[in-house]
Amino acid sequence: MFFIPGQVIAALTFPGVIIHEAAHLFFCKLFRLRVFNVCFFRFGNPAGYVIHEQSDNFTAQFFISMGPFFVNTVLCVLFCTAAFLPVWELRVSDPLAYFFYWLGLSIGMHAFPSTTDLSHLWKAAPALAKKGNLLAILSLPLGAILVVLNLGRVVWADLGYGIAVGVLGPIAIFRAISRF
Amino acid sequence: MVSPTCSECARSLSASEAYELNAKIYCGPCVQAAAQRAKEAGQPVAVTRYVDKSICPRCNTYIGEGGGVAAGPVRLCLPCSEVVQNWPYPQWLKLSLAGLLLLLVFALAHGRRYFEAGKNLYRGEQLVEKGKYAEALPYLKNTMKIAPDSDKGALLTAKAALLSGDVYTAHLVLTGHEGGHFQNGDTAQFREVDALWRRATSALEEIEKAQKLEAQDGKEEEAAKMVHHAATVYPEFQHMDLLVNQFDAGVDFVNKNYDAFLARAEKEWSAIPVAGTASMLASALACKYAVSGDPAFRQRSEDMLAKAKDLAKDDKQSLDNLAEFEPRIRYRLESRRIITRTEYDKEFRSGKPAGK
Repeated sequence: MFFIPGQVIAALTFPGVIIHEAAHLFFCKLFRLRVFNVCFFRFGNPAGYVIHEQSDNFTAQFFISMGPFFVNTVLCVLFCTAAFLPVWELRVSDPLAYFFYWLGLSIGMHAFPSTTDLSHLWKAAPALAKKGNLLAILSLPLGAILVVLNLGRVVWADLGYGIAVGVLGPIAIFRAISRF
Repeated sequence: MVSPTCSECARSLSASEAYELNAKIYCGPCVQAAAQRAKEAGQPVAVTRYVDKSICPRCNTYIGEGGGVAAGPVRLCLPCSEVVQNWPYPQWLKLSLAGLLLLLVFALAHGRRYFEAGKNLYRGEQLVEKGKYAEALPYLKNTMKIAPDSDKGALLTAKAALLSGDVYTAHLVLTGHEGGHFQNGDTAQFREVDALWRRATSALEEIEKAQKLEAQDGKEEEAAKMVHHAATVYPEFQHMDLLVNQFDAGVDFVNKNYDAFLARAEKEWSAIPVAGTASMLASALACKYAVSGDPAFRQRSEDMLAKAKDLAKDDKQSLDNLAEFEPRIRYRLESRRIITRTEYDKEFRSGKPAGK
């Protein structure tokens, strides 16, 4: 395992940071929450942020916290799907495919919500889960996994997630398609 | 702008010296004592830095105490409250996201031919896993047209080809793959194909030897044994049963078992109706005519010779073979004598075989 400063990683994968923050902003606007400040990218820690008012609505909390996770994951799968075959399976030397793969992985690497995002969910979810709120029930295991993965960033869990999504996603898609 | 005053010691404070606790303003030393008391009384103890509510915290515009617009926990000036209420997407972000979507469409369009190749690869892989090798081969061949350097594609194609008896395709794929080199020669897939390839080539070498042997009179049985052995080594070889049948027919001819010879020749002709099998059937029918004198055999033999000529007309190799073969069959039909090729060459070609 080797150490690369977070700022360098963020710079190399800046599209993912921007999309993550754009997704936060999108869901804040969707749920009509006030946004006090936004930084889409900077050379610092965190590399980007959206400061917004808190909501008592759990659905809003869920999507504002988890929205970037879903948006980044889907975009990662789509871009990697376009590039997966020539890069991994077909071994075709196509520079565009490598560019798309970098883009896909960059986006996938920044899918994880921050621990701050997760902490808001974590506080509200148990009580609502007991009342049968489906999003709250879903957010408990998902949040737990994401907390662990967030801690695993020091051992490149975010890159691992990007690669896993960028490889397994397209494989699942192509295997499913090839059956028809 | 109003200077804050400590609610405990009444000292006038600058904004940076002031703290808030439970809606009251304190100086640094007093807020600690107030927090302790609040704790003991079971009240909230969240100490925050004092915010001057007479100025907008976003743009520092003076709004007066209680002025501006409430925006959650703070009061903002009207323009700032509109911004936080409906934070605009920056123009560059809109353009970037539009560009990203266009890029995604382009990436998917660019990858279309790879999708086709990949779809064929996975379809072929699924069929190979089900043991449907011949069915898998066309899919895998299509993949190899786009990705000849794909290890997975080459190994799957070679496996499907070898297990469906198509050694030629396996040869083309393996030699066409980076000159026969694979990134990892230690995978189970590579070892499996390597073993299949060795099995197939060893059988083919044996068949080649048998073909040379069969050309010599008196070696037909030995040649047939070699082909039978090759068939046990590589039974998947395309038309292996017909190849074995062909060598067994040679043995039947030598043993003068013309009924068996005819049955085998009929089998060859019905399975692969080409000039070679037509000639073989003409030969067997000529033998039957020679021993029985039944003109029906002679007529059919001549018909088969005509068919052989017709089928060979566009193929030089077949024409050459027929040029050597036809006079011997005609001699057999005319004389009703059954002699071997060597005997015929000795009598009519000064001992030299005609043509190739």
